[in-house]
Amino acid sequence: MKLSQVLNRQHIGFMFKKHWIIQGKRVPIDTGVEDYLKAKGIPVEDALEFVKEKPEVHEKVNIVGQYEEPLPLDENHPNYKAKPCYTLRNTNVLLEGISQAQVLTKTIIAEDKLPPKIEELAQVEAPKAIHENVKKAILSANVFDCEQKKLPKIKDPQRPAYNFPRILGITDRRRNQILTNRLLQLIEKSSDTEVTQTKYVVNDVETHTTFDKDEELIQFQDVCNILVTSNKPVKHDTEKDIPFVEIPDLYPVKHTVTLPMEHFYSETSKYPIKPSVSMNHPHTTWLHFNKTEVSNIYETPVTSNQILGRSLTHAFTVASAYAKQLHGEDVKDLPEPVYINCIQTDGQNYHFGVLELNTLDVDGNEGTKNVWYCKNDMKLYGSSRYFSGMPVLENYNPKVYGYINAFYNC
Amino acid sequence: MHLIRTHRTFSKLKSILLRRHSQAALIDQNEYTETPEYPPILDMSIQGRKLRERETMYEKIKQLNTVEEKQIALNMPRYYGWPCVMLNEDKIPYNAMPLVQCYTRTHFIPTEKLPDSYADTASTADEITKEVKAFIEDALCIESEGVEHNFSLSLEKPEPSQKEDALAKCIVRQINRIISNNLTDKVPHIISTQVDYDPRHEAFWFVGGVDIPDSVLNWRKKQSWYKDRLEENLDRPVQYIGTPFLTLRNKLPLKPIIPYSEAENADFKVPKFSYSPNNVGYFTNFRHGTNMPGYWPGDYDEFGMLSYHGRGHILDRKESFGPEDNLEALHCQAMKASFGWLLAQANYQGFTTYNDLTYPLATQTVITNGQLWSFYAYQLNTIVMHNEQMDENPKHNVCFGTKPMKLYDSIENGKVQGLNEEVLKTLVQFYLNSPEEREHDLKPYLGKEEQVVADIEDDRKRCWLEDRYKHLVANRPKHFLPPETYLWEKIFKIQFNLRFHEKKRRPFELDINPYKRRLNEHLPPYIPKLLRKYPRSKKKFENTYYPDVLNHK
Repeated sequence: MKLSQVLNRQHIGFMFKKHWIIQGKRVPIDTGVEDYLKAKGIPVEDALEFVKEKPEVHEKVNIVGQYEEPLPLDENHPNYKAKPCYTLRNTNVLLEGISQAQVLTKTIIAEDKLPPKIEELAQVEAPKAIHENVKKAILSANVFDCEQKKLPKIKDPQRPAYNFPRILGITDRRRNQILTNRLLQLIEKSSDTEVTQTKYVVNDVETHTTFDKDEELIQFQDVCNILVTSNKPVKHDTEKDIPFVEIPDLYPVKHTVTLPMEHFYSETSKYPIKPSVSMNHPHTTWLHFNKTEVSNIYETPVTSNQILGRSLTHAFTVASAYAKQLHGEDVKDLPEPVYINCIQTDGQNYHFGVLELNTLDVDGNEGTKNVWYCKNDMKLYGSSRYFSGMPVLENYNPKVYGYINAFYNC
Repeated sequence: MHLIRTHRTFSKLKSILLRRHSQAALIDQNEYTETPEYPPILDMSIQGRKLRERETMYEKIKQLNTVEEKQIALNMPRYYGWPCVMLNEDKIPYNAMPLVQCYTRTHFIPTEKLPDSYADTASTADEITKEVKAFIEDALCIESEGVEHNFSLSLEKPEPSQKEDALAKCIVRQINRIISNNLTDKVPHIISTQVDYDPRHEAFWFVGGVDIPDSVLNWRKKQSWYKDRLEENLDRPVQYIGTPFLTLRNKLPLKPIIPYSEAENADFKVPKFSYSPNNVGYFTNFRHGTNMPGYWPGDYDEFGMLSYHGRGHILDRKESFGPEDNLEALHCQAMKASFGWLLAQANYQGFTTYNDLTYPLATQTVITNGQLWSFYAYQLNTIVMHNEQMDENPKHNVCFGTKPMKLYDSIENGKVQGLNEEVLKTLVQFYLNSPEEREHDLKPYLGKEEQVVADIEDDRKRCWLEDRYKHLVANRPKHFLPPETYLWEKIFKIQFNLRFHEKKRRPFELDINPYKRRLNEHLPPYIPKLLRKYPRSKKKFENTYYPDVLNHK
């Protein structure tokens, strides 16, 4: 006889196992009803006879949910086109950065040069109280805002598998939103009421532009994080004798490289403000560079050259969408150039640019060209954060405020 | 080895030889006085002793120097957080007004126009209204028809309310822009005012006088020491969470709407609401109490002026609630939002739910969807309503509020029809209400040198407190799961005693409530031997700097 161990305790696992064994071998109990019914002369039928038939298949019920389901992306979609369109969104960047942007938009660049009026206005000293308020704005965007969301994972290239504790804090999107809006509010408050009354400010509006280049369809889809519009188009006096950076030859890279092809697009451009609005002329557009949202389609980090390219494509998108709204979809050389100011920032670095849009005919490298005046990489502050438990703002640069102010007031 | 042993024996010897206790009686020679000085008579009943224990804790919290330490101190008794009644800004169940009024201790006064303290600015407001009227009309048209917005909608809320709130947010930003730009030259406080978009507003306090649940009553019946205080009330922790569209804040506080002495006016008494909040539709959630007026302690502009809120949640309410309850819901939202924001501001001034305000605070609240506007002026007089203070505290808060009023009738062909200037004027008056310097100390319960953690000189203490505070208020999930009584345990061990021969190890078998674990009951970070001080340090764990406010167990 085999002796097994005596278990003097109850074990929930064993209890369940035993229970399964017992319950798994259940035998139907003969209740004696069948015999009884037969004796009474009542016919007894096998229950399995009734379940032989397959259940009826019902039609699928169309359930009305809380939201409309998006249409499936197939050939029946209203926006489906057979011809693919190369698409650049605001979350993507161009591989070759500014040079590729130059080719795509047929633009020559005046490096480190802004129109003389802006340079003149930028030299005007702002009162001390304003700079104090700018410092407050920087601190409240980087330090004092209460947002506590997950920040990107910290990676140490020396030991890539090491998991650092995840830090909660102010996301780059929120930081940029706070800082740029505060700066604009300050500028508006310190400007004359007559100036602010001729301007209008909208946040987070979409602009699309679609155009042909060398028989290929290209579209830019961009979001203006802040769009300042005015009641008359912005004009700049420009110098002629500037050493322009000509359109480069990208060979062996093609100008559509890293632009994903799409079949669902609309051929018309979209400028967010309707022509019936009196203050619909774009004046300054602010573009945020949110590090967590913008990336290359391959995993390489975004380079500073690519960030500069973003400014140019963004300004081109807004200006051309506006020009097409003004002159119609098929306009080529514009009767009058369209100017637009563009400020791109990641909170700390500011890239200023002015686009002179002369033509929407971007085929080839010859003929009328667009002009991009820019002044890049101006730092508003050295660093601003909690440093060992204390709020810190280092190396504040008052010049940047001067330029932003000049852009608003020109 | 020998050395250590002798050392130990000596220390024992020392304590025997010194005989400290026997010398104490000799010191005081003049123990006789003219009139007898009796020690204070203390109430030695269990209620009296418990009250004294609590009061020492409140006093200790009052003595703490910095804002952050006080906030940590409020959370010290609970490692897993408080079971808070969640008052969300945009979740208002049916007939919530009595609860909200009681929990915020607010007397609500429905009015047609603003209180008397606004009368001085009426004529200036008239002029400014005329100036900005045309621009606001333009802005309304542009926002509703002229601009193509692409609102990103979440799946968590119904679509219509999200759309309404999104559009209202745009309109509010435009109106704020136009009015502030116009007023900058005319009134000095606008230029230094900070404007916050979508700030994080949270507030935490204790409400006493709520009926105890049956489960607690049943438990008390079993305990002999609860014999004569079965019905004793429990404190309910309450947490407010809200996100206004836009807030304005300033360095100085607003003037009080009514004199502070009026706070004790018996007319402002609020009826007590002692039913459980679950009955109304407010539920509890475990979290650490947080007080946050939209910025961290140490910001320059600490006092709120004006906040704009959305009313999209009204669209999600059932139709059967009726228009009257919808109106009450707006009042509730305003009271919650104003009280919550002011309480959080008061916490940054060093007051807590245990240490009452010494001066009144005021704020202005606007609830709007772009077309309908309701205006509220709120004065915070008291923030103490825990335990017996619910009945004993004579002070109450006051809220003046209007019904929703139409800013315009309709927008047709890009023209605004029937703009109501009165509404606009009220709004302008809110902007014209200028903050003023107060003659008294604004932060009587904070330290002179150290008011926030950033002022602390000790590097380790400062960094530790900063980290701990931010970690606490983030309310991120714990690394380990919270304690739980499994269902099988409830059946086989608690309800029916079927596993009596098992070793009793689980907390409920040892009569331990794991949720009563204190915040500092954890191992501090370990110091590896290599990093310990030379030559030999026995210190195995890092220092912690929890505020010492709890009575020792």
